[in-house]
Amino acid sequence: MFETRSRSAKIVLQVLVTLMVLPFLFPLVVMVQGSLAGIGWGNYEAVLSRPELPLFFRNSALISIATILLVYACTMLAAFAFSKLHIRGKEVYFWLILAALTLPEVILLTPLFSTTLQLGLYNTYWSVILPLAALQIPFTVLLTRSFMNGIPDGLIEAARIDGANTLRAFWHIVLPLTRPIAAAIIVLTFIGAWNNFLLPLVFLQSPDTQTITLLPTFFIGQFNNDQTKVLAAAVVTALPIVIAYLLLQRLFERGLAAGAIK
Amino acid sequence: MEDNVVMNAPTLPSKRREVEAGSRSESTSKRRRLMPSGYLWILPAMVLCVGIIYYSVGYTGYISTLEWDGSSPVQRSVGADNYAQLFRDPIFWQAIRNTAVFFVITFAVQTALGILFAAILHSNVRLKVVYKVIIFVPVVLAPSIMAPSFRQIFGANGQLNQVLEAVGLDFLAHPWLADSATALPTLMLITVWHWTGLTFILYFAAMGQVEPEVLEAARIDGAGNLRTLWSIVLPSVRGTTIAILMLSIIGALKTFDIPYLITLGGPNYSTEFLGTYIYRQSIPLANVGYGAALSIILLVLALAFAITVNVRSQRKES
Repeated sequence: MFETRSRSAKIVLQVLVTLMVLPFLFPLVVMVQGSLAGIGWGNYEAVLSRPELPLFFRNSALISIATILLVYACTMLAAFAFSKLHIRGKEVYFWLILAALTLPEVILLTPLFSTTLQLGLYNTYWSVILPLAALQIPFTVLLTRSFMNGIPDGLIEAARIDGANTLRAFWHIVLPLTRPIAAAIIVLTFIGAWNNFLLPLVFLQSPDTQTITLLPTFFIGQFNNDQTKVLAAAVVTALPIVIAYLLLQRLFERGLAAGAIK
Repeated sequence: MEDNVVMNAPTLPSKRREVEAGSRSESTSKRRRLMPSGYLWILPAMVLCVGIIYYSVGYTGYISTLEWDGSSPVQRSVGADNYAQLFRDPIFWQAIRNTAVFFVITFAVQTALGILFAAILHSNVRLKVVYKVIIFVPVVLAPSIMAPSFRQIFGANGQLNQVLEAVGLDFLAHPWLADSATALPTLMLITVWHWTGLTFILYFAAMGQVEPEVLEAARIDGAGNLRTLWSIVLPSVRGTTIAILMLSIIGALKTFDIPYLITLGGPNYSTEFLGTYIYRQSIPLANVGYGAALSIILLVLALAFAITVNVRSQRKES
């Protein structure tokens, strides 16, 4: 975008962008530095020896995986039907789902609180998985439907003429073509589920089911507000998603960019 | 070019297909048999969405007419009293003001930074991937994970004050989060840190679609770098800007994690948002009816803004 003809202009631009990213690095440096203060790696040993840590990880992983599966299945089925099948009053149903896009999750708190209590779902993974999926589906259906509109109807008709039913056409022809958008769905849902704080805060009160986003608060109580150990816990919980991002960098960026670009 | 998926109005492809199908009588009977199955396909998504979201909204609407603590069997119907109380509640108006200021500033700063980073990283600089990773990493880190570090950085003995003292600006040193004048700006700074990576990635992808010939032509006509950015690049990424505007409005209205974890809405309600106030009323204070009335107002605001942005952006396009 910016044209740099001369050598000095090139250097100025390089220096400028370096200075601009430093503030983004600063909090991460403070976090790592703080986690090594005092007894150094001993902070990590203290944090890693707590039995809660693997438990919280497992809970977050289970919730994320279940949410991703649920969102993926519902989105693919619904987007296919909205794009390629006949439904009377299709747009009414579609707008019903779309209107939920704007909904802040805090609105769900009270009704879901009393409902999960009545159904005995309070303190179970489902009390977090189901609302997470419900809040994610409107956006993923919107993305996937416009992606599937780009798949020619002729492909599915040809499969039908060859004797395949709708389910087979969906499974063998449509699904393999939707891999790019599937990656976007998985990444978006993963970030949303793994990082969610409010739903676990309200619906998961027992340490058996709590997630890693509640871990720093939990450790503030456990370690008597020992900041070095709290920061070590923060680093340990941040690492998996940072590593996942570094490994799948392109996928993450494409997944998020899918929201605004066709 | 329609590059804005988020705001796309639904089209009616089904009509067209019916006509096509009519011309091929052989496949028509088969199609007829398959037609009802469309309902079954959308059923899971509808059950989840409508079942949870619309049920909750309806339930919240009902609760908003009650005086109730959320668990006791005693519920007293108070009609619209909760809403009347809300308009007289100074903390409600404070939360609205905070949300408005928060939205305007974070949106402006994030958009400017996102465009600038995207333009620079589309230029001839080295180590692009490193810069991209540094800007983007905050997006994947949950606010709850970063909150302890931020409380420390902006504390009275925190790193920010140490840096200020080191460069001779001691008079600026300050307990940033404990002073009601600086708490909200500090939270805005943290929010910008968290979400600039997202606006950057969206603009970066959108700018990749700007045709090099157009830029070249502008250069030949003598336009400088900033002029090209303003007159050529910005108009062609308009769809992205509208998508980000929408995300920012909803994001500001939803704001919960960062103020709850870092300042708990204080000091003196200076960082209270609708999200944190609804939580405070509904859970710790157990004024469930009042919290529900606040929730309904929040929902109305979110829908009203979403529709306004949508309608205005479409009118401008045509």
